[in-house]
Amino acid sequence: MEQLLRGEEIPEVTTYDLDSPVLYFPIRHHSPVCAWHLKQAIEAYKPEVILIEGPQNAQEQIPVLAHPETKAPVALYYFYKDRKGLLSEEKEDYKCYYPFLDYSPELIALREAKERQIAAQFIDLPYGEILIGTEEHKGIRTEGEKQTYNDDYLLSRSRYLSLLCEKTGLRSFEELWEKYFEIGGLFQTTEAFVRQMTTYCSLSRSHTPKEELETDGCLMREKYMAEQIAKASKTYQKILVVTGGFHTDGIRELLEHQTSDKNNGFLKYAEKPVKLHSLSDKDQGVYPLAYSMEAADALNGYASGMQSPGFYQQVWERLIKAENPQGAYEDSVLHQLVSAGRKARQKKESLSSYDVICALSMAKGLAALRGKREAGLYELRDAALSSFVKGECNPSTDLPLQILQSLNTGKQVGKLCEDANRPPLLLDFDEQCKKFGLKIQAAGQQEVVLELFSKKKHLSMSRFFYQLQFLETQFARRTKGADLLNRRDKSRIRETWVYHFSGQVLAALVDVSMLGGTVAEASRTKLIRDFGKSENSQEAAKLLTLCFLMGFLEEQAGMSAHIREVLTSDGDFFSLSEGFSHLRMLYELQELYEVEATLELETLIGICFQKIVQLLPSMAQVKEEQQQTCMESCLSLYQITGRGSFSHYRQNLTEAFLRLLSQPQINPGLEGTVLGLLYGDNSDYGEQIQKASAGYLQGTNEMQMKSAAFLRGLFYTARDFVFVKEDFLTMIDQLIASLSPESFMKLLPELRQAFGYFTPIETDRIAGKAAALHGAKKKEVLQGRKVLPQEYAYGEMVDAYAVKGISGGL
Amino acid sequence: MERKAEIKPPVEVRYQKELEALAAQDTGKRPLNWKLSPKAVRTFILGSKKPLEWNGEEIVIRKKYLGNDALVERCIITLAGNRGLMLVGEPGTAKTMLSELLSAAISGTSTNTIQGTAGTTEDMIKYSWNYALLLAKGPVREALVPSPLYVGMEQGILTRFEEITRTPAEIQDSLISVLSDKVLNVPELGEEGLMFARAGFNVIGTANTRDKGVNEMSSALKRRFNFETVMPVRDVSLEKQIIVNEVEELAKASQIDMPVDEDVAEILASTYHELREGVSSLGHRIDRPASVMSTAEAVSVYYQTMMTAYYYGDSTMDLGCLVQNLVGAVQKENQDDLEKLRSYFQTVVRDKGGKEGQLWNSYYEARKYLK
Repeated sequence: MEQLLRGEEIPEVTTYDLDSPVLYFPIRHHSPVCAWHLKQAIEAYKPEVILIEGPQNAQEQIPVLAHPETKAPVALYYFYKDRKGLLSEEKEDYKCYYPFLDYSPELIALREAKERQIAAQFIDLPYGEILIGTEEHKGIRTEGEKQTYNDDYLLSRSRYLSLLCEKTGLRSFEELWEKYFEIGGLFQTTEAFVRQMTTYCSLSRSHTPKEELETDGCLMREKYMAEQIAKASKTYQKILVVTGGFHTDGIRELLEHQTSDKNNGFLKYAEKPVKLHSLSDKDQGVYPLAYSMEAADALNGYASGMQSPGFYQQVWERLIKAENPQGAYEDSVLHQLVSAGRKARQKKESLSSYDVICALSMAKGLAALRGKREAGLYELRDAALSSFVKGECNPSTDLPLQILQSLNTGKQVGKLCEDANRPPLLLDFDEQCKKFGLKIQAAGQQEVVLELFSKKKHLSMSRFFYQLQFLETQFARRTKGADLLNRRDKSRIRETWVYHFSGQVLAALVDVSMLGGTVAEASRTKLIRDFGKSENSQEAAKLLTLCFLMGFLEEQAGMSAHIREVLTSDGDFFSLSEGFSHLRMLYELQELYEVEATLELETLIGICFQKIVQLLPSMAQVKEEQQQTCMESCLSLYQITGRGSFSHYRQNLTEAFLRLLSQPQINPGLEGTVLGLLYGDNSDYGEQIQKASAGYLQGTNEMQMKSAAFLRGLFYTARDFVFVKEDFLTMIDQLIASLSPESFMKLLPELRQAFGYFTPIETDRIAGKAAALHGAKKKEVLQGRKVLPQEYAYGEMVDAYAVKGISGGL
Repeated sequence: MERKAEIKPPVEVRYQKELEALAAQDTGKRPLNWKLSPKAVRTFILGSKKPLEWNGEEIVIRKKYLGNDALVERCIITLAGNRGLMLVGEPGTAKTMLSELLSAAISGTSTNTIQGTAGTTEDMIKYSWNYALLLAKGPVREALVPSPLYVGMEQGILTRFEEITRTPAEIQDSLISVLSDKVLNVPELGEEGLMFARAGFNVIGTANTRDKGVNEMSSALKRRFNFETVMPVRDVSLEKQIIVNEVEELAKASQIDMPVDEDVAEILASTYHELREGVSSLGHRIDRPASVMSTAEAVSVYYQTMMTAYYYGDSTMDLGCLVQNLVGAVQKENQDDLEKLRSYFQTVVRDKGGKEGQLWNSYYEARKYLK
């Protein structure tokens, strides 16, 4: 870096003047060295006010962040609801985090200000305004990532940088940063450090195209910040401005016009002031929340996170304790290596202290080879890779690396002071938990058994749990009870839930807090939104079931119009059948769950029924893997037409079945099912069954191979046919007798399934009859030949001989 | 001495000037008995942008090992320490080349080598006797035939142990005491039988993970090594560069006066890369052949084609011939591999022909040789 910097002409700027009325302190977010020098700068400069880059609408949260009881990592959570459509026509919701660690310079500034009893202010635009000023897909509006406000991409992703890395032979910007700033910077005076930082940031900025700065809202924010600084200069004589290094130059340029006229203030902001939109308080807000190292780590989900926060926390703790920064990094490296070694031993890895010694000397050696003053994160990782992994490095041998990784991430979870204001949703959550007597303070998992239909409170609890599950909070999980969403165990009257409250649940709750002020309201908002997106009957009916489970009764009325639309436009037989089954289930259970008469279930079922009947004939050649679903829906349709209010549909259904049967080619299983159902309605169809069966059972070899599927379908809906028509069994018997052993083996699985529909007593009867066909009695079939004692003894001897032979005794 | 006739001169001869120039200008601290400082060793292997002035000549230090720079750094530091270095990885990932470069730079010789095979015995690793002298003079140092390990310890230089896992585990274990106590006992020599290793001695082992893994290695021995896993090159353009560099060297050595066709090298590099990774740059999923698809194999396929073109053809690369050589290289272990190669041509190469132009089209047409 030194060579490169020397190679270019850099205009000399007086960057660190302790007598100046404004002192700009450029930082990189979450940088221990910046925090360390900032602390010293505050000490030396003794400002009257500290202005910090941070959305202004979080001003009220400063006391919470600086409170001695608040423990980092914490974060500010911002949300903005684009109700007016200022960002896009979709009027979406936006949110982002502003995390603080113990070594975040911003947090140090806030804490120092509190200790010195001086003012601290956030000077950036409010979150909503930043969003409005940023073009779609740019800056803070980049999709696909968890958004953080203090993203360093401007500092770490410029073109200038890749050149710099190449020139210095370092692998990445992060390594470069660590070598020259984090470690190197500790041994510089604050003045020299600030100068190096300013130089680097100016170069970085001059290599970023202006359009980019414009589109991602950077320039607008700088204008606003400059305006705030000018404003502050009217009141204060010594102002410390702490902003991302990238912005420092931009802001300084805007404030060049200095006057000594005290009435006009020291600084003059010459540009046009940034115009703010009038946004309602309801549409945007900010809450502090406890954060975790895991959430803060760049590895967990978003690029703008920080590198290995656990490791740098170690470094920071050493830096603030010691007078001299010497050894802070090397100590931390040693600490991490020793802890990783110890943890690996606990997990039965053979890592000795000597391995740790070798790793440390590797880290030191690498640091010397790479010209680093002390070993840092990259040497730590290399050392562990080299000395801890035995054999080829692959998932079965890299456990020590995984352990080190988790140590580097850190385990710390933050805590907020008592008087931090919490989103109303959280308050509601607490209140409800209290009302239901849920133990959210307990450490482990808790279990609760709910008697849904005998206790009103239990029904409400179940609804509460379902709501939280729907909001994806990971708070509660049902382990036993009716699973209506998958239509299993519908008759269960008790539910067992396990629940556990953790930091993740909290974060998830905060995440959804912008959806509403209570758990129920948030679920309702999400439900209505999801509902609008549902495209087929299956999804819509599932959501309707959820609605039912969460106890949202009023909403259902509004939903039925949408469902009607979805049902009418759905042309997929399976989705409709699935939807139909859900609707039918709800219809049957509505009384029990106390949601009667709020929904036009009968009308919906009617619509769905008509659609399915219409599509049924086209299902004749259904594929084998969908055969079962198809059979089930036929049965389900038949059953529902047996009920009083739906009986007038029976005629329609029979006609559809006949149309289906008249198709030239039909899936044998489906044919059996439909014939069975027709027979159940009218025994005249027995004749037709007989004919169709003969076609399969006595047909060509190819047809015979399909007979098992046919029988399976038939027995699924009309198994009594076997007992009614005597010669039917004879026909099956003949079929089995005529099959070659190979063909029989092929048919066997499906035959078993077919006969699986019979009750044990029925099976017994069938077996008796089958035996009779071959001149044997039922009992004889079940009893084998008697074994003689001599035979038994001989068998035992052979067995013993074989065992001996296998175990190598011979 | 005229070296030109040698097929493959050792690294220290091939790069003699570079090593001398580096040594002359090396100001870094060196571990005892090292010819170069760790920094200079790094420069020798990873190259430097600025040429060195030496004896009135400008010596360019070329990057010799393309791939993971951090791995090279770790290797150097390991060798300066107390443990041996074990390079493991797929065949053809330049493990041996790296070990040669390291020994040449550190000890000035890369030929102090034990070649591990199933028939390697303990006396090949430690020492054996010249029986005529033994009978004549009794057990004296003169009658002892030192092994490369013995030589390494005696002179304080590196000993290379190639394909260490090919040797039986009990033979491998004879290294344990040497690596931990740095002493070799020759009981026959009586009181003078203890030979303490001189500073600068260490062992570089290589082992490939294909035929016999390092799993069978005893954990006692494993503990005396730092392991480095050498991965195949993951970057197509880098792989192409390796092919070009290596073929240029080979051609120079065999006095074949024909330039390397970079476009053909690129086709070959992507073929090898895609078959190895199982996915094409256009996103097709590909069945991976069972045989080793290493860069070294790609180099030899290219070189064979080049020689055919030079001696029989008009000194231009013929893609038909390339495909024939490719078949020879891929179809080694398994009949199915040819089928996999064929389906690669029928999907990926065909589609690339449509998108990336003429050369890929001719490559696709050469599929008739896939048999």
